[in-house]
Amino acid sequence: MQPELETRGTRTEKGWRDHDGFVGPRQPGTGPRSDPRGGFPTGPDVGDAMPDVRCLTADAALFDLHAHRAGRPAVFVFYRSAVW
Amino acid sequence: MELQKRMRDFDAADIRVYALSYDEADALRDFRAAHGITYTLLSDPDSAVIRSFGILNTLIDPNDHPWYGIPYPGAIVMDAEGAITHKFFDGNLAVRAGPEQLLWAALGQPPLEPEVDRVAAPRDVRVSVALDGDHLAFTVQRDLVVRFSVPAGRHVYAEPAPPGSVAVEVTLDENRRLVQRPIVRPASEPHVLAGTGESFQVHHGVFELRLPLAVNGFSRSDAAGLMISGEVRWQCCDDEVCDLPTSQRFELTVPVSEPVPHALRDKRAATAEPNAHAHFRRMSERRTGPG
Repeated sequence: MQPELETRGTRTEKGWRDHDGFVGPRQPGTGPRSDPRGGFPTGPDVGDAMPDVRCLTADAALFDLHAHRAGRPAVFVFYRSAVW
Repeated sequence: MELQKRMRDFDAADIRVYALSYDEADALRDFRAAHGITYTLLSDPDSAVIRSFGILNTLIDPNDHPWYGIPYPGAIVMDAEGAITHKFFDGNLAVRAGPEQLLWAALGQPPLEPEVDRVAAPRDVRVSVALDGDHLAFTVQRDLVVRFSVPAGRHVYAEPAPPGSVAVEVTLDENRRLVQRPIVRPASEPHVLAGTGESFQVHHGVFELRLPLAVNGFSRSDAAGLMISGEVRWQCCDDEVCDLPTSQRFELTVPVSEPVPHALRDKRAATAEPNAHAHFRRMSERRTGPG
């Protein structure tokens, strides 16, 4: 599914204001402000089993989600970047 | 960073918290040290996990560095068995679920205690409005919680209300500072009238509607707090009598936290994250090579 690009925005003295009122230097529809308009994929559904996640931790150690949470409930956040 | 403010509560409930991004591990270490992060940061520099979940932001051109590789951000909550119970994804990529929302979901939407102090007006519905959280923050959602307490033997209409009747509803006054999202309603129950067999959806007892809110900026006047105001409407009935629709105004002032300065844009913040610019440069170069 290729979502539609959200491009609504207004140029103001402080930058570009999007349809929710957030103001930033980049025009909506470009770079990190490439928001979807309407539907977009959000991964597995509620009720599905959470897929396992294998990757590296911040300490560059091997990570396995279900082994690490070891039977505890968990919150798994996908975010854009800790750098910018 | 807003999430970190509630880590004590997640830890107390033995709920694990993970946050994955396409950043390199050493950038995450710097971020963790600068902001005292105690939840588990995960590094997915090739966006392999992000792709495997099918949530790579494909609106960004693969040659548009350093932005290419980010996900449609969101949060997934799973129970002890690993089944997904809640998902929080917002079309505005700046907006994210707040810690109290995630905690409420991960706790399995804790049941509500019935109110006992009902002597004064036993047939009246009681409504209270409060924020789940002690402040609002830029981009971070928190729920305005509208709690109903309906006397035993009575009910209020849920959506969809029968023709000519009013379903429970919360409306905010116009406020350009607030970003609001569709209200989260509890499951309703069918109610069948004994005489006619007519059936409609209702709420009973103690229940909550949750209206997700965030602020879209910060101004100096926020030091005094931001006023949230609006109106709650409902219609309460029992099997014989239906009250007229009722409304109640609400007004509350909540603190707004100042956004945390960013190391790429603020000199003082950069002293806590001296490698920030180097990390960003590498993100720009890592798929193309220098130059």
